Amino acid sequence: MRQILLAVSMAVLASSAASNAYAATEADVEKSFFPYKDGTPTADGVTPGAVINKDNVDQFKAVLDEGMYKVIKNGWYEIKVGKTTSFDQDKFYIDATKKNLGGTKLGAKTGDIEGFVAGRPFPEEPSESDPRAGEKLAWNFKYGQNWGDNATITPFYWKYRDLESGKLEKTLKFSFGFLNFKHRVQHAPVPEVTPNPANLFRGIYVKVLEPQDLKNTQLLIQRYEDDQKQDDAYLYLGFQRRVRRLATEQKTDSFLGSDLMIEDFEGYNGRVADMKWTYKGTKNIMLAFYNHNEMKLSSDFKEGDGYKYVDFHGQGGCFPDVTWQLRKVYILEAVPVGPSPIGKRIFHMDAQANSINRTLIYDRKGELWKSWTIGKSHPDSHLAINKGTGISIDDAFSMVDMQSKHCTTGQFKGQVDPKKVPPAMFQVQFLRGGN
Amino acid sequence: MKYSNQLRGSLKSKWALLGAILLALGASTAWAEALPEGGDAANDDGSITDVYYENDTRFRGDDATGNNVGLSKFRNTLQVEADRRLGSSGWEFHGVFRGTYDGVYDLNKSEYGKNAGGAINLQSTTPGGFISTPYGAGPVTNTVVTGLGLPGNAFVDSYPNSPNEGLRVLGDRWHGLDGGVAFGVPVRPCNTDSRGCKDFGGYGDQDKNELASPEFNDRLDFIREAYVKKTFDLADNKQLFVKVGRQQVVWGRTDLFRVLDVINPVDYSRNNIYDELQDIRIPMFIAQAEYRMGGSDWLQEQNLQVVWNFDKFRPNNLGQCGTANVILDAGCLFRGLNNLWENGGTVANFANVAPGTLLATNFGAHQIGLANVDLPEWSLENTQLGTKFEGVTKGGVNFSLNALTYRSQLPSLHGGKRSVNGFTGVNREYNPYLISFDMVYPRVNLVGGSMDFQWNAAKSAVRMEAAYTSGEEFANTNKEKLFSRNHVFRSVIGIDRPTFVPFISETRTVLFSGQLFYQHIFDHERDQGRLGHTGMADWEDNFIGTLLIKAFLKNDRLSPQVIFAHDFNAESWVAAPQVEWIASDKLKFTVGANVKWGNDESKYKVDDCRSCNPWAPFTAPQGDPATQFQSFSRGLSGLEPLGRFRAGPIGTAVREDEIYFNMRYKF
Repeated sequence: MRQILLAVSMAVLASSAASNAYAATEADVEKSFFPYKDGTPTADGVTPGAVINKDNVDQFKAVLDEGMYKVIKNGWYEIKVGKTTSFDQDKFYIDATKKNLGGTKLGAKTGDIEGFVAGRPFPEEPSESDPRAGEKLAWNFKYGQNWGDNATITPFYWKYRDLESGKLEKTLKFSFGFLNFKHRVQHAPVPEVTPNPANLFRGIYVKVLEPQDLKNTQLLIQRYEDDQKQDDAYLYLGFQRRVRRLATEQKTDSFLGSDLMIEDFEGYNGRVADMKWTYKGTKNIMLAFYNHNEMKLSSDFKEGDGYKYVDFHGQGGCFPDVTWQLRKVYILEAVPVGPSPIGKRIFHMDAQANSINRTLIYDRKGELWKSWTIGKSHPDSHLAINKGTGISIDDAFSMVDMQSKHCTTGQFKGQVDPKKVPPAMFQVQFLRGGN
Repeated sequence: MKYSNQLRGSLKSKWALLGAILLALGASTAWAEALPEGGDAANDDGSITDVYYENDTRFRGDDATGNNVGLSKFRNTLQVEADRRLGSSGWEFHGVFRGTYDGVYDLNKSEYGKNAGGAINLQSTTPGGFISTPYGAGPVTNTVVTGLGLPGNAFVDSYPNSPNEGLRVLGDRWHGLDGGVAFGVPVRPCNTDSRGCKDFGGYGDQDKNELASPEFNDRLDFIREAYVKKTFDLADNKQLFVKVGRQQVVWGRTDLFRVLDVINPVDYSRNNIYDELQDIRIPMFIAQAEYRMGGSDWLQEQNLQVVWNFDKFRPNNLGQCGTANVILDAGCLFRGLNNLWENGGTVANFANVAPGTLLATNFGAHQIGLANVDLPEWSLENTQLGTKFEGVTKGGVNFSLNALTYRSQLPSLHGGKRSVNGFTGVNREYNPYLISFDMVYPRVNLVGGSMDFQWNAAKSAVRMEAAYTSGEEFANTNKEKLFSRNHVFRSVIGIDRPTFVPFISETRTVLFSGQLFYQHIFDHERDQGRLGHTGMADWEDNFIGTLLIKAFLKNDRLSPQVIFAHDFNAESWVAAPQVEWIASDKLKFTVGANVKWGNDESKYKVDDCRSCNPWAPFTAPQGDPATQFQSFSRGLSGLEPLGRFRAGPIGTAVREDEIYFNMRYKF
């Protein structure tokens, strides 16, 4: 028995050593953050102004993920091709990556990490020969820029729609806030918010402003630095005026009746330890990356500052009316290790931003269940407050339930404005401080 | 409760007042500018005004008399909710204004309006069985007692000033008489019949208009909430949060039960225990300050709150007798007792003149009943003060420690008060064991705490809450004044478990939420007397369990649910199925029912003090010559008046099964 244990231990150590063997270099960092320095990807017919629709989609199958191919093939949506552009990342984040280069290692178990300080933990190009390459990408996402040190989406409109009839069933108006307690790179306090005895890594605060049945509902998610530790989540129900602790099961539940789970927020909103990660290769595919101010915008909601939201069109009004560009993408498979209504997710991670912008969600029978798009705007073509931040702005989302023919769309007013998102907002007591 | 001058008048003027408030808040502007764009988006000054209309219509079946109740509620509510940023000061205003018109008093006059009640009969027990005689007919009357050689007696032969009309028999909605004590209770609105009308603490003396539109009173209840709040940023990310004005302050972590959530009294007259607490808490003028200290070496969060309820005292509104929602049927007991005091009245099965014989007795005024209500006036010492420390541990356990000194929101009846002896006609200030009462609201001190945490192995969230109080008072027939002051421990443990139930939905969980409430009364007294148990009516230990099962379908626009509650000692149940349909962002429909059932109601029988012998030796029970000059209870029991405390809010409403329809529209 002891020999078996020893053999297993050695195998684990060997695997760990192999996956940690590569030491990233500054050249890797440059390649990671500036993948289009030496040119942008190309494909036959993928030129700015081209339109991919159901009549010509087979011609573009190689640059579409399986879900988007089906969507276009069904005639639900047409993709307008835009020019591939570099979404240069925050220089503070890049500097932190360089400063801490080579200092981060995976631990023995999925969800264990050692030596991480700040920046992109594993900037090297993923390799299919590395059995833990997928896990490293997951860490890059978790410690990615996402919304930077802290930011808000206010307002944030979600619409529930019937894909077939286009009937608008419900409109929710939210305010979202994001805060990194740790690994902060730019905005005070750097590198972390203190005191933080629970060693929290990140917080997400959500408040529902409308409609009447959900008004004043608030959600607080606290994620621990220790990835093995379950998130804490609290819900304040306006009609109860009471904070309720959420059970972990609710992370994979439909969030307020939408087609999203809490676990879907930002592409993936869970622990690294919750999934078995497998890197499935690198491709150039179409992603909804664009310049917000150059899009045809909606007149749906009026803002005092004149800001306008991305419009939606296509079947049922479920798809963002934006341009898509051909971008380098890492394909990452995530299979839940615990009970979940999800069989697996296939993430399409933008290689430059390390953000998740296209996701295919499969049910437990292996059938495609949801097609999940997050559109990103360049920060320099958005609100003035976002200009020069290097934070690629989440700007529109579309979650299509391919089976029930239903969708939820999101229209963002993202603001990288730390003043609007103080640490106090991420305390449980803040939920009780309203009406 | 009387209208203040400016509010006196017709319903039309009251609604005009609410309309004026609405206009003052700029609601019309908000509608015009914001609503077409998908809702009431905040204006540039942060102002939001929402206006709601709600109709709640309910029907009941037969009560314990076999009378079909019919329409029990036709409530129409207009509610305005407003938020304003007050310039650049950082202060914000929040207001909720509500006006209600319940048409049931006009639409079902024979049950709840000016034609309610009627002539009643009261019961006497004889060895040959029960006999029934009209209210006022004795058989024990002045003439009869005079015939026994007591010509100076103060019993009466009739009630010319309190006729046998507009009455119901105490407790007849939920139980039969069955040899127990009972008396007539006036049930018509106080403008129609003023008998027994008295302000018990915001209810009890209301006329029809006040019952139909309860918010328009001298406490200006149409202003449900009106407060200002501000967060002051301090050094080191600390904050001071201040909120002053009419508001609700909610403590605790449990649903339905109020263990720590006792800062605001509750208006049970609106819909018994079935409305959301936020709609039935009675907002009070309160100042609260919260020092948010952030983290420390030991705690992720630390918050210290001080709450000063500086409003004039208000108790829970238990509902006026003659209305649909009279929790525990207490309002009928109070009105009936006050009527007994003011006008006298026939009391069923009372005079134990021979073995196995208990005759209905015609008491005169100022002999038994409820005379005075001691509602604390405003004074600094009558204000209420609380503090709470709320924290989150490093491990994610959320907890609070609470302390509150307040006035009991439930009344206590102090017996043994002044009375004219029915047999001698002599007035005496102190009469041990006599059911001559004053109503008081004693001061109560509370310490408690709460916590919640995740229970990952069970995929559940766990909530706990406990409180220990001193100063609460309970009916106790072992005491000369018929009450005792006892320490009480209450706790609730709740578990919430969202669970995928495949035959309901494979993508949306069903919420299972269970709670167990426990109450223990310290130094509980219950002794065996010659004729039955004596002492306290309330259970020494009591458990109530609740289970909520709620599903979410059609993207949460269709939500069926059922709530079960079981009172273990009372052996009573309620099941409340409901379906909510959100037709649009503005329109919501709800249909549902609540159905109660219970076991043998004789379990609720408890010492009623008929055998207390307060006017010794005349009231000494038969068969006890050795103690005929001593006043104490021998334990003769019945359902009234104290069985309600054993039956609880479910057991006393067991004949109030209800179906309802609710529509809520947001303009």
